[in-house]
Amino acid sequence: MLRRIKVSGHSLSPDFEEGDFVVTVKIPLFLRFLKRGDIVVFTQPLYGTLIKRVEWVDTAREQVFVVGSHAHSVDSRQFGPVPGRSLIGKVIWHIRSPRNHAV
Amino acid sequence: MFYKLFETLDRRFGTQTAKAHCDVPCGIYDPITAQIAALTVVRMIDLMTDLESKPERGLAYTNSMSRYIAVKEEHAEKAKHDVRVIWGDYLKAQHLEKYPNAHALVHKIMGLGSKSRQSVDRDAAVQLVEALNEFAQIFWETKSVATKRAKAPYAPALELVYPAL
Repeated sequence: MLRRIKVSGHSLSPDFEEGDFVVTVKIPLFLRFLKRGDIVVFTQPLYGTLIKRVEWVDTAREQVFVVGSHAHSVDSRQFGPVPGRSLIGKVIWHIRSPRNHAV
Repeated sequence: MFYKLFETLDRRFGTQTAKAHCDVPCGIYDPITAQIAALTVVRMIDLMTDLESKPERGLAYTNSMSRYIAVKEEHAEKAKHDVRVIWGDYLKAQHLEKYPNAHALVHKIMGLGSKSRQSVDRDAAVQLVEALNEFAQIFWETKSVATKRAKAPYAPALELVYPAL
């Protein structure tokens, strides 16, 4: 299933900036297709909908460990691995804001 | 071109937002503030003991003793406060699974902190420093940061657990 999502915040800067759009996809047996470095969107009980980079995937427990690009990023280092059921999808298309990314 | 299309869709239908969330400056946690506060408590007890051993009494004595007591009170409470913040805001379920004694340790620190306020029991204050070292050890392990033990480079020169950076 495809989803259209807008990025806010700077924890994945400079790759993803405030105002960028992404398109995500989620398919059956989704976790098997995820790998380190993929960007995923997911829901987290405390912080809402987040976008982070996959650090590792645990297919046995159906969870992924996610991180941001900055030391102050709020990610799995604080809230632990993300259950597979909380994943909204993997980013397959990144539409950069012309305001953030000079061509 | 695509950005304009997505921007138009966003204006027309709205878009779910995903936060690339940062936690500045609240993501800065470090047990060293509590450890130094506990060292200060020991130092104040030493200064009080030293002052009490001298024969002089009077306004200057009362002033100094009052100040030592006030600083001891303040720093014992600060040690307790700073540990409560790390325990409540930083330590998460997965940390507590790995360190199941963390709750008991924090409770012990609260008790030793209170005893350090109520009394001039140096042993209790030293135990507070050591309990905080144990807490610091757990804290840095949760961040996969190696630690070292070294004597603080100032009186009372007790050993503290530091990150080995």
